[in-house]
Amino acid sequence: MTPDKSDVLYGTLGLMIIKTLEALGPLHGYRIARRIEQISGNQLALNQGTLYPALLKLEQAGWISSRWGTSESGRRVKIYALTRAGRKQLDREEAQWQRAASIVERFLKISEGSS
Amino acid sequence: MTRLRIFLFRLRALVRSQQMDREIDDEIASHLAEATDEYVLQGLSPDEARRAARRSFGGITQTREVYGQVRSFMWLEELSRDVRYACRTLRRNPAFTTTATGTLALAIGANTAMFSVLNAVLLRPLPYRSPEQLAMLWTEDPTENLREGRAALWDVEQWRGQSQTFADMATFDTVSTVLTGVDGAEQITGASISPSLLPLLGVQPVLGRSFSTDDVDQKQRRLMISHRFWQARFGGSSDALGATLVINGVPSRIIGILPAGFRVARVEADVWEAHSTRRSVRGGQTWFVVGRLRPGATFDQAQAEMSAVALRVNEQLPAVERNRGISVVPLTRYMVGAQSRLALWMLGGAVFCVFLIAATNVTSLSLARSTARAREMAVRAALGANAGRIVRQLLTENVLLAAVAGLAGTLLAFGAIRLVRAFGPDNLPRLNEVGLDLRVLGWALAISLLAGILVGLAPAITTLRRDLRPSGEESGRSVSGGTATRRIRRALVVAEFALAIVLLVGAGLLVRSWWHVTSIDPGFVPERVLVMGVSTPPTVGDPAQRADLYHRVLDQIQAVPGVESAGIIDDLFSSNPREHVLTVERDDGTASGRLRLLRDEISPDFFRAIGTPLRRGRFFSAGDRPGAPRVAIINDAMAARSWPGDDPLGRRFKFGSGESDAPWYTVVGVVGDMRRQGPEREALPQIFVSLAQNPPSRNVGVFIRTSSADPLASVGALRAAVRRVEKGAPIYGVAPLEQQLGTYLAQRRFQTSVLTGFSVVALLMAAVGIYGLIQYSIATRTQEIGLRMAIGAQAGDIFRMIIREGLALSLTGAAIGLVGAWWLGGAGSSLLFGVTASDPVTFTTVSLLLTAVAIAACYFPARRATRVDPIVALRVA
Repeated sequence: MTPDKSDVLYGTLGLMIIKTLEALGPLHGYRIARRIEQISGNQLALNQGTLYPALLKLEQAGWISSRWGTSESGRRVKIYALTRAGRKQLDREEAQWQRAASIVERFLKISEGSS
Repeated sequence: MTRLRIFLFRLRALVRSQQMDREIDDEIASHLAEATDEYVLQGLSPDEARRAARRSFGGITQTREVYGQVRSFMWLEELSRDVRYACRTLRRNPAFTTTATGTLALAIGANTAMFSVLNAVLLRPLPYRSPEQLAMLWTEDPTENLREGRAALWDVEQWRGQSQTFADMATFDTVSTVLTGVDGAEQITGASISPSLLPLLGVQPVLGRSFSTDDVDQKQRRLMISHRFWQARFGGSSDALGATLVINGVPSRIIGILPAGFRVARVEADVWEAHSTRRSVRGGQTWFVVGRLRPGATFDQAQAEMSAVALRVNEQLPAVERNRGISVVPLTRYMVGAQSRLALWMLGGAVFCVFLIAATNVTSLSLARSTARAREMAVRAALGANAGRIVRQLLTENVLLAAVAGLAGTLLAFGAIRLVRAFGPDNLPRLNEVGLDLRVLGWALAISLLAGILVGLAPAITTLRRDLRPSGEESGRSVSGGTATRRIRRALVVAEFALAIVLLVGAGLLVRSWWHVTSIDPGFVPERVLVMGVSTPPTVGDPAQRADLYHRVLDQIQAVPGVESAGIIDDLFSSNPREHVLTVERDDGTASGRLRLLRDEISPDFFRAIGTPLRRGRFFSAGDRPGAPRVAIINDAMAARSWPGDDPLGRRFKFGSGESDAPWYTVVGVVGDMRRQGPEREALPQIFVSLAQNPPSRNVGVFIRTSSADPLASVGALRAAVRRVEKGAPIYGVAPLEQQLGTYLAQRRFQTSVLTGFSVVALLMAAVGIYGLIQYSIATRTQEIGLRMAIGAQAGDIFRMIIREGLALSLTGAAIGLVGAWWLGGAGSSLLFGVTASDPVTFTTVSLLLTAVAIAACYFPARRATRVDPIVALRVA
C-alpha cells in the first residue's frame, strides 16, 4: 500500500467522518461506520477497519478528539468528537468539495451538450 | 502548525507504543462486539453474526498495521528493528565482525590521524587576524641564485613608502640572547621585532602591553616574554610585569606577555625586544619582512607592484646589485614549504589508499558472506520483504559495522596523534597544534560513513541483481555464488593490487632516495663528535679577550680524558650563507664580485676534530697569530668558484671591493667540501679564517672528538673544563653532531617510514584479499575441481589452474597500478633525491615483490585444492 492511495482514501473518508460527527455529535467508531454506510445508502462498501487509521490521522491533525466512554450497550468504547479546528476544516473541505463537484458537473454538462 | 502537532503526537506514540497497541485492540474488539449485537438483532445466529461482523470489518491485521504506520515514524521503527537485527547478525559471526571492524578501525584511525596533521599544518588558519592578507617579502637575485633573502631596514623603508597594496610592513629576526641570572649566564632564545609587528599581525599580549615606537629609543630596554617563559620563570604570576631581566648584559624591563604558542612565521623565542626601524643609510643587518595587504588587494597585485618598486629602488643601487627583485610569498605558503605540503598531501593520499584497500577487503568479505546468506535473503523476500527493504537491512548492517570501526578508529587516532606529536619531524611547523578538533572528528565520522556505504553497496547491488526467488539451488548444486558477485570480487582484488602497487612504488622511490641521501659523504665524520655551544659572558667585551678566552677553553677541553681533539667554529655550524663582496687576485689581475658564501672563524684544530680532509696546503697553526699575515683556508667549491682550473694556494683575496682598505688574506690550505646545510644541499663556497686573527663572535660551537662511542659520556667533565676558564660562560645546545644532523633528515625519515609502513599494510591487505578470494573460489568450485580430477586432471594441473587465476588478477592490478604510479610519480618527483620518478629498479623490484606475494597468497589455497577428493566432492553434490 503506497501512501498516495491511502491519502486519497483518508481524505474522502476523513471528510465523511467529520461531517458525521458534526451532524450527530460525539460517536464511537462503530456508530460512525454505520452512519457512513447508511448515508451512502449502503452503496459504499466500506471496510470498517479502515476507519480506525483514518480516525487516528484526524486526531493527530487535531480535528477530532477522543476519550474513553461507554456505548449504548454499556461497552467501553472510544468516543470521538469534533474539535473547533475540525469544524473549520470541515467548512474548508466542504467548500472545496462543492467547488470540485460543480466543476465536474459543468464538464459533464458540456460533454452532454456536444454529443 | 498541523505538521508540528502530528510530529509531537507521533513522538508521544513512540514512547507509549505498547499502550496504544492495546488501545486499538480494545477498540477493535468493542467494534466487533457492537456489530455482532446488531447482526443478532437483525436475526442472525450468534456465530453467523460474528462472522458477518468480521466480514464487514475487513482485515483486522491490516487495520492494525496501517494504524501502526499512521501512529509512528515508520522508518524509525524499522531502523531500530534493523539495527537490532544487525547487532544480532554481527554477534553471530564474531570472526567476520572482528576482522571487518579491526581492518576498518585501523584504516579509519590512520586516516583520522593523518587528517589531523593535515588539518593542523595545512588547513587551519594561522593564529593571526585575517591571516590571508599576510605575506612574506623577500629580496631575490636570480643571477646570484639568491632566493628568500632578507632585507635591510633601508630597503623596507623604500618598499613601504612606495607601496599601495600593502597596509604595513614589519621586520623581525632571531637574535643571540644571553640571560644573566643569579646562577650564572645562559643562552636563551631571543628575537627582535619592529614595534609595528604585533599590531600588524593583530596579536594582543595576554598581559601588559605591546611595544610602542617610544620603547625603542628609551634608555632602559623593554622586553616582551613568551607565555612559556612566563610560566617557567615567573610561574605565570603578574609580578613578571615590570620585572627586570639582564639580557646580553643590559638590564631590560618586561612590559608584556605574549599569548601561548606565539610565533612570527617560523621564528619562536622566549624573549622579544623591539628594534628601531629608522635607517637613513643602506646596509647593516638584514631582517625578515612580513607585510599585510590592504583589504581587497591580491597577492598578484602586490607582486606586480613590488616588482615595479624593485626596479625603481635598483636605480639608486650600485651596478652589481641592480638585479635585485622582491618576491611576495603568502605567509601560509611560507610557513609550510612546497615540499612539506606535497609530502603531506602525498601521505594523506597514501593513507586514503590504505583506507580504500581496507574497505575493499571488507567489501569482499561481506560479499562472500552475502552469498552465504542468499538463502536468508530469499526467505525474507518470500515473506514479503521488497528489495529496498533488504538493501536497507544490508546497509544498516554495514553502517553499524563502520560506526563501531569508526569509534575504535578514532580512539586509535587519538593514540596515533600523540605518537606523531612525539616523533614527527621538528622542522614541520605547527605540528604541536595537531589534535582532535571538531573538524577532525567530522572527518572521522564522514570516513566511517563512507566505509559503511562502500562496504554495504556491493552486497546490496548483488542482492538486488540476484533473483530473489526462494531457490534452494544456491546452497546446493550451483557452481558458485552468482557471477555478479564473482565479477565484483575479482574487480576488487584487481583494484587492491593496483592501489597497493602505487603505494609500494612511492615507498620504494622514497627508500631509494633515503639510501642516496644517507650514503652521501657529508665531508666530515660526525661519529663520536660532541657539539657544545659556548657564549662569552657579556662582561668580556673586547674581541681580543674573547679569542684568548676561547683558546684557553680549548686547552682545558683537550686536557679532559677521552678527548682526541677539539676545535672551535664561530657561531652556528649550519648557519645560512650570506652575501659578501669579494675581491680576488688571479693571474689576470684582481676581480670583485658578490658571492654567497659561508665565512667562519675557526681554531687550528677544527678540521682535525670534525674529520674534514685537507686537500692541499696546511691547517692553521699557532703561528697564525694576530700580528702575522692573515691566512685563510677555503674549500673545493670556493677554489673552483674563484680560481677555476688554477692552484689557489698562496693566492690572495679580501672581503670588500678592490678599493676598500679591508685586509688581504692569503690562502694557505684547501679542504674538502662540507655539506653543512644537510646532505641534500650542495656544498657552498666556504672560507675559513683564523679565530686568532679575526674578532670572533660572542657565541661559538666547540666540536669535540671523543674516543668513546657515546660522546655524551664526558659532558660533565667538559662543562667543568669550560667553567674552570670562565665561570659565567653560558653553555647550551650540547648534543652529538650526529643527532644535530639527524634533524636535517627528520622530515625525510618521517615521510619515508610512514609511506613504507602504509605500503606494507596495503600489500598485506591485498595479499589477504587475494587469499580470501582464491580460498572462496575454491570452496565454491570443489565439485568442478572434483570433476576435473575425476576425468583425469593431475594435482599439478589443478595447482597451476588456481595459481594462474590468482596471478591473472594480481598482475592485471599490478599493471594498472604501475601506470598509475608512473603517472603520479611525476607530480611527486620533487620529493625524490638521486632517483627519477620512473626509476626502473624500483618499478621492477616492486613488481617482483608483488608477484611473489600474490603467488604466496595463492599457494596455500591451491595446495588445498589439489587435495580435493573427487569422490567426496561429487558425492556432496
